Amino acid sequence: MSNDTSRPGAEEKIIELRLPSKLGYERVAMDTASSLAKRMGFDNDRVESLKTAISEAVTNAIEHGNQQDAAMKVVVLLTARDDELIISVADQGRKQLDADCTTRNPHIEDAMVNADKGGWGIWLIRELMDEVEFTTAPSGGNQVRMVIHLEQ
Amino acid sequence: MISTSEHTTSMELSFPSELGFEVIARDAVAAFARRMGLAADRVEDLKTALSEACINAIEHGNSLSPGTRVAVVCHCDAERLLVEVHDQGLQSYTPKGDPLSISDKLAGLGPLRGMGLMLIAQLTDESGYRSDGEAGNCFWLAYFRQPVVGCR
Repeated sequence: MSNDTSRPGAEEKIIELRLPSKLGYERVAMDTASSLAKRMGFDNDRVESLKTAISEAVTNAIEHGNQQDAAMKVVVLLTARDDELIISVADQGRKQLDADCTTRNPHIEDAMVNADKGGWGIWLIRELMDEVEFTTAPSGGNQVRMVIHLEQ
Repeated sequence: MISTSEHTTSMELSFPSELGFEVIARDAVAAFARRMGLAADRVEDLKTALSEACINAIEHGNSLSPGTRVAVVCHCDAERLLVEVHDQGLQSYTPKGDPLSISDKLAGLGPLRGMGLMLIAQLTDESGYRSDGEAGNCFWLAYFRQPVVGCR
């Protein structure tokens, strides 16, 4: 993998992380992203937002995309640019993400009466990141691309 | 020396070969080691030893060459945590016999730098070097797990 890529005039630094699909390892992604974001100059509150968003994305990849199969990997790419940090989280797609769940807005009133309190992860990611896009990874798995802008 | 079993939990990280990125590797691997149950003081030892190994990879193995990368691979089984640091081998490591002691260095018998490998040996349970041929150099750091329990 190269360090510098296509965007003219913009230098990119890429960190690649491959994690086992076991709950708990999202902490490794959180701490790695936090360390890079601090080094880039993000404020503490933005770093906390980033940690929450990446935790949700990696947990989704482990639980849903890879169905907690420890032999499967979650691949996290952190691309640092001068003015933004791009985070890509990809699973191996044992289960494809339902397109509807990437756009649905959950309601707190429903959560109060329904037994299932889940389903807030993607909404949280959308709330906390500046750009969010759900695609298919080159491996065929689910991929979420998140961008957080660095305000100068 | 370096062998892993089918019950191994693994993580891989790669980053640009630039001074400063060893901090991000340190934070990522520390999170993995904590997850594996390594004691807090040993995690601190690991952070220092890993930083030294990464700096060696950046400065020596990859000769500070733009576009090169450093890879860190962590394996954990019931007995130990093994961390490998791989460079691209632009410069091969050649063992130089017993390093000078700190007192000899302070007495002016050698340069004050060059204590990284000594530190690594002091801060790990086992450590070593292997050549991966044209693929580069690999320094490895090992920490035994106590009590001996399976990876979570």
